[in-house]
Amino acid sequence: MRLLIVIPAYNEEQSLAALLTEIRSLREPDTEIETIVVDDGSADRTTEVARASGARVLRLCRNLGIGGAVQSGLRLARRENFDFAVQVDGDGQHPPGELRHLLERARQDPAPDLVIGSRFLTKPDPTTFRSTVTRRVGIWWLKVLLRLTRLKVTDPTSGFRLYGKRALRLFDANYPYDFPEPEALAVARAARLTIAEAPVKMRERQGGTSSIGPFAAAYYMLKVTLAVLLTYVRAPRRIPEGSDNATSD
Amino acid sequence: MQQVTDDYLIFALACLVIALVMLRLLFRERITLQGSMSYMAFLAVLGLMAIFPYQTTILARRLGFTLMSNFLFCTAIAALALLHLRSLVTVSKIQLRSVTLTQELAILQEKLDRLERASASGEQRAS
Repeated sequence: MRLLIVIPAYNEEQSLAALLTEIRSLREPDTEIETIVVDDGSADRTTEVARASGARVLRLCRNLGIGGAVQSGLRLARRENFDFAVQVDGDGQHPPGELRHLLERARQDPAPDLVIGSRFLTKPDPTTFRSTVTRRVGIWWLKVLLRLTRLKVTDPTSGFRLYGKRALRLFDANYPYDFPEPEALAVARAARLTIAEAPVKMRERQGGTSSIGPFAAAYYMLKVTLAVLLTYVRAPRRIPEGSDNATSD
Repeated sequence: MQQVTDDYLIFALACLVIALVMLRLLFRERITLQGSMSYMAFLAVLGLMAIFPYQTTILARRLGFTLMSNFLFCTAIAALALLHLRSLVTVSKIQLRSVTLTQELAILQEKLDRLERASASGEQRAS
């Protein structure tokens, strides 16, 4: 089985080396793991750090935002016929060791198309990182919103996700661009992908600063709310037909 | 009536000047003919209104406007809103294409880099 770890990174030179070292030490039975860092037009040494750590690098010539960066990695995973792709944020919030929970869930029968790493499936551990109250209120609102699409998830903003082949086909063609996580779930639901969750622990970002300030947070909520409602009312997006190994090399 | 026509002719001249500026931009290839057609049509309608104010007044009255100026404002606002909408569609399309192009370029560049590295290491082994 082949797994591609997709790391979207924008000015993450501080946290990337440690993250890639952790990923290199990952061992999964019967799984060939490759890593690709998607440098989203960084102004720092993100690309150099990633290359020095032995990762493959997709260097975007301009900043596309998290959605565009993730889609680039998913597109590559689909073209190179990977069985799974996992999104791991470049800021180090997603411990690579937790990836095994996503894989375990993906291997269960019936296999889901998309597995979300959720912080809220188990009782909160006071020693691990927790989101701020404002963020938790936002997450609660998004959960309510996604219930409109009959999708029950506990962590709609989690970017720690595993994509199966059908999800790769869908998101290669359609992936939302800014603040994409909740909207991508609505798109996946509309395309009738099966979505599951697996419990994971997350930690605080290991370097750099968050790009989401108070104004961006307000815009985030408004935009995501409209986007989910739009996805709910418009015709479902179909998963493109076609061979998964068309351009495999 | 003659006075009214003279007043409006200034407006027609203004439309003509803007049309000439657009033509200049077209000749210099700063804008495309395809993109400027709807703007040209808008200018032509405004110009015709200025040249034929009597007929325009009749049209305005038929449409329920008591003041000619209100009719002109409404026509201009509606036309500009349509032009803006058209620009929005064009810009959105270009934005999406630009994202895809950026992604494809990055994927091709990565593939090329890998092939070059493989070729270089193959040459080293051969020598």
